[in-house]
Amino acid sequence: MLLKTKKLMKAFGGLKAINKVDFELPKNEIRGIIGPNGSGKSTFFNLVSGVYDPDPGSYIEFDGHDITEEPPHKVGELGLARTFQLLRLYQDMSVINNVMSGYHTLVPYRFIDAVVGRKKIWDQEKVIKEEMMDLLSFVGLADYAEMNASELSGGQRRLLVLARAIAGKPKLLMLDEPAAGLSPVNVDNLMKILMRLKEKYGLTLIIIEHILKVVMDTCSKVTVLDHGEKIAEGTPSQIKDDNAVIEAYLGKKMDDEEMRKALAV
Amino acid sequence: MEKFKDIIRQYPFLGFIIAFFILMAIPSIFFTDLYQSHLSSLIFINIIVAAGLNIVKGYCGQVTVGHVGLYAVGSYTAGCMFMYLGASLWITLPVAILVTGLFGVAFAIPSFRLEGPYLALATLGGGEAIRLFIENGEFFGSTYGISSISQPELFGITFDTPDKYYYISMPVMLIAIYFSFSVLRSSIGRAFMAVREDPISAAASGINVKKHKMLAFILSAMFAGAAGAVYAHLPPGYIHPNNYTVIEMVTFLAMVVFGGLGHIWGGIIGAVIITIVYDLTRPLYEYQLFIFGLTIVLTILFMPKGIGGFIDKYFIDRRFKKKQAVADK
Ligand SMILES: Nc1ncnc2c1ncn2[C@@H]1O[C@H](COP(=O)(O)OP(=O)(O)O)[C@@H](O)[C@H]1O
Ligand SMILES: [Mg+2]
Repeated sequence: MLLKTKKLMKAFGGLKAINKVDFELPKNEIRGIIGPNGSGKSTFFNLVSGVYDPDPGSYIEFDGHDITEEPPHKVGELGLARTFQLLRLYQDMSVINNVMSGYHTLVPYRFIDAVVGRKKIWDQEKVIKEEMMDLLSFVGLADYAEMNASELSGGQRRLLVLARAIAGKPKLLMLDEPAAGLSPVNVDNLMKILMRLKEKYGLTLIIIEHILKVVMDTCSKVTVLDHGEKIAEGTPSQIKDDNAVIEAYLGKKMDDEEMRKALAV
Repeated sequence: MEKFKDIIRQYPFLGFIIAFFILMAIPSIFFTDLYQSHLSSLIFINIIVAAGLNIVKGYCGQVTVGHVGLYAVGSYTAGCMFMYLGASLWITLPVAILVTGLFGVAFAIPSFRLEGPYLALATLGGGEAIRLFIENGEFFGSTYGISSISQPELFGITFDTPDKYYYISMPVMLIAIYFSFSVLRSSIGRAFMAVREDPISAAASGINVKKHKMLAFILSAMFAGAAGAVYAHLPPGYIHPNNYTVIEMVTFLAMVVFGGLGHIWGGIIGAVIITIVYDLTRPLYEYQLFIFGLTIVLTILFMPKGIGGFIDKYFIDRRFKKKQAVADK
């Protein structure tokens, strides 16, 4: 298993944002995580990536390492990358610098060489920059490389956070609502690019997504959270027919026909 | 021209050697009195401080208002080493850099938990505490200051007048800028900016946020320490607690803000301009805090990227036009 959690728990005051979640993800899978607003999806990412400390009794393992107590940068170093629901772009940095900082853990030279300003640093920086420019071309942002990230459009920003997360060649990439707020055309474009990146870099993916169509189309397996608990897990078609999911996801306000429509592939 | 630029980019060291020779020639061509040499040394010293402040504040985004305290540590390390051990600049300079670097650690620790105005208050307290400690310490010469600090000797020349001391402060300044360029243009500089822009995403990219904040504080403290030591030995070699007050702090801040936070050249230009204005307004001592405070406020309001913003805009526009010209063909 690339990622494994056991009895993962996190309470904010009395609210159990994540409650005893067991989760297993083999290499190369594309996993979807769905659930109503506030069901704990982002909290799950924050726990796994070390942004939040899990409650006692929890266990998280990534690529054979116990990362339960590890700080976020250690988790990142081990090859787990993520994006954020609110993007968290480096607004006042150029597009290329945004991506190049994603490469941080792979930078080959030592601190002292940088301080002294040895020539080999600049040679290596050039190589890194070329590689990152390739990545930018791949997501279609090469023309914007020297612009400030804050000048990009909404769709471009989403491509940029994707590129930044992939820059460090992660083993696992976790995406928190990567297509939120995009027009259908842009959603298609983003997902196409994502699938090509997955092929190119051999990524394993976890995708939180609100647009169910995206999840149903791209994920091989889906995990459903509700009130911090895992209420279902299976292939998209299994999930679609799961009564607990339908109830949690849509409440009882809709009739059968409407539910099937909402979840339609 | 393109080729020349490429060579400089490949061997940044060369650019500094050229700058060195130009600056070597300037006094004999342009200077008419000793005071211009003295002012030049002050400018160089302030450039060193500004370069350091730019690392921690401009690049790493840590609001520190105690930097003048670190500058004082550099000066007094040098001053005391001279007073008690008779040490020359060649010894006091490296020691001052190391000692001030250690003080930088102390200034970094609050940044792990505090941000923005709270961090500003903590560092302001630190800087003032240092000044008060010096002012009340017999050991440091208290309110008498330390005087007649020696000038260094090299190749049988004693650099004991402002025109000679120019040739000490200038190379130290160039070396300092060289180091700041090297660090800031490497992955470390990028990591500093990432920490400034968003520490949570920086950490997700594997950047150790605390380590980089610590590094930024230590490096910038070392710059302040170097500047402080060069200042202590500046003829006539006199330091006094009054040279390390909030006014000086605001002047330092004005340099980096006016020059453009996070912009290396901007900070340098800011240091040159503000030092000259500071010197011209010396008779208006009681208004200086106001003048430089106002400079900061107006800069932030009306040109938040300072002079550096204009420089960048010029180059980016030019590059863009060039690209367009190529595209039009
Ligand atoms: N830092 C926090 N402090 C307090 N409550 C939080 C925090 N983060 C998340 N929560 C709460 O935990 C629950 C799950 O939130 P979240 O994981 O963001 O949901 P989702 O991403 O599924 O919409 C929500 O009720 C939210 O208010
Ligand atoms: Mg969420």
